[in-house]
Amino acid sequence: MNTFYAVLVSGLTVGALYAIASIGLSLVWGALGVLNMAHGAMLTLGGYVAYGVITGLGLPVPLGIFASVAFGALAGGLIYVLIVRNVLRQAKADFEANVMIATVGAAIALENGILLVFGGQPLRQPVTVSGSFELGPLIVPWQNFIIMVAAVLAMAVIASLLNYTRMGRAIRATAQNRDAARLMGVAADRVYLIVLMLSGAVAGICGLLLSAMVQLSPSLGNDPMLKAFIMCVVAGLGSLPGAVLVSFGLALLEAWVQYQFGARWGFPLLLCAVVVVLIWRPSGLLGKTEVRRM
Amino acid sequence: MTKTSGRTDLLIALVLIVVAIAIPFQIDSRYVLGQIVLALFYACIASQWNLVFGFAGIFSLAPVAIFAVGGYATAMLCFFLGWSVWAALLPAALVAAVFSVLIGLACLRLTGVYVALLTLAVTQVMYLLIVTDTECFVQVGSVCRQLTGGPGGFSRFGDFGTRQLLKGDWMIGNYAIVCTLFVVIMVVTWVILKGPMGHAFRAIRDNPGYAVARGINRFRVQLLVFGLSAFLTGLAGGVYAAHFQVIGPTILQLPQLMFIIAIVVIGGTGTFWGPLVGTLVLMGADELMREVGEFRTLGLGLIIAASIVLLPNGLVGRFRDLMRYAGRNRSAGLKTSKDIQ
Repeated sequence: MNTFYAVLVSGLTVGALYAIASIGLSLVWGALGVLNMAHGAMLTLGGYVAYGVITGLGLPVPLGIFASVAFGALAGGLIYVLIVRNVLRQAKADFEANVMIATVGAAIALENGILLVFGGQPLRQPVTVSGSFELGPLIVPWQNFIIMVAAVLAMAVIASLLNYTRMGRAIRATAQNRDAARLMGVAADRVYLIVLMLSGAVAGICGLLLSAMVQLSPSLGNDPMLKAFIMCVVAGLGSLPGAVLVSFGLALLEAWVQYQFGARWGFPLLLCAVVVVLIWRPSGLLGKTEVRRM
Repeated sequence: MTKTSGRTDLLIALVLIVVAIAIPFQIDSRYVLGQIVLALFYACIASQWNLVFGFAGIFSLAPVAIFAVGGYATAMLCFFLGWSVWAALLPAALVAAVFSVLIGLACLRLTGVYVALLTLAVTQVMYLLIVTDTECFVQVGSVCRQLTGGPGGFSRFGDFGTRQLLKGDWMIGNYAIVCTLFVVIMVVTWVILKGPMGHAFRAIRDNPGYAVARGINRFRVQLLVFGLSAFLTGLAGGVYAAHFQVIGPTILQLPQLMFIIAIVVIGGTGTFWGPLVGTLVLMGADELMREVGEFRTLGLGLIIAASIVLLPNGLVGRFRDLMRYAGRNRSAGLKTSKDIQ
């Protein structure tokens, strides 16, 4: 029975990480209708910035956390200003694909930049807590507990931003109907910029938490990003509550499969799950039903 | 979108063939010839991805996976069953086509980024399963060999026989083989594009609603282009494995995929000669950046991002704009047939 609880704890922790990774992606997809392939590199950036500020410069931990959020937001803003805005302006029908390819280019450059600055060897994240506590039959390492709390906190902040601020209302309006929002006087350009910065900030936090679980390496963000994509697709691209729900569900499933059949079968299983879901419901479990079927 | 006329294509092709024949007489360095062969492989995959993405409008990210299936199937047929490389090429290409059609069946009900994400995930899963494969399939001497070759991949499963035949000049023999492959692939692609099938691909890309209303079955046509391009990509994969005499999981890694995509985007998506132009430019840039070693990947990423932003129709598109501009100035308002096209 002990292994069951261990799998449960690790599944929930990983689920929390997937959830904030997929929220960042889903936000951008919802508002702009494009996928930001540099999201994984932004996760990596968040982890490395915290490392650089705390270990490299010797500054206090809260400053490191703040720095990774700030740098994430900055990276998101730059990606919008330099790439996404210009591609959207080209008024070509296949801007979806073009944004994907261009952000992949940015991701490669960012990842390689990190490799050049910090080197390829795995580094240890300074923000780690040791020890664990018992909760009934559960043995929860503090590390995992903090990750879960931080993830839930991040989700709560985003949810209240979206639900209770003017900007949040503008973002939701743009996501629901871009043209109508623009006609109602929403400055789409500014919404796009803020959405990408917000998603970058979330990516920064996510990368920081992620690097506390595994070691820092320049390809840190790639695997979680691909899995977050899968979560988003299963949930229906653009659905935030769906992304969170599916992240936890699939993370638990993945943890169980990895325990039962070995670590290498975790990802293939996720892929099978997404194929099955998409054949059954092409727009995801909680996605808006796609009107254009062509 | 304009397209070059048949006569121009033929002219360009003739010039290219002359250049291709002249190359082995002009270049002595085996390294340079080897790089040209590598470039031809890239051009092969890129031209097929261009068929899928540029002409049929399916944003598939599976080209290197299909290429790898072709290569692995060739290697496995030779390694486990003792076939000769030549005999294994076509069956392996068929395996790649079947693999691609299966992927298509699973994901062509969807469109756009959904297809991209699923095919990317397939590539990644293949890579992970091969790299983590440790189970012994056969015992070769004291060495254990996995079914998928494991992280090391397959090697020493045979070659084209050019080494015995041409001795020191074997590279020229392989160059000739790969050149022939490239010509075959380009000719087949050209015939497909000029035929009714090519029109159907483009109709579906440009206006799916109208195409379906005119009686084109989107799913069937897209599945067809998936299978066709995969057959040719798989064939190239088999030749690749036989040329390098090794095939490993590294060709499934993300940078390889991005290199292919960058080639097509820089050359010009949806143009017949775009992939070749892109290959020449990117391989050239890659060679130049060899000087600055560690900044190569960084530079490649920046080139990809910048070319999407600055060259929406690629180099071929830019070149065509220039030609049209020059033509318009010369004929002073007279509409030439090129303008109307």
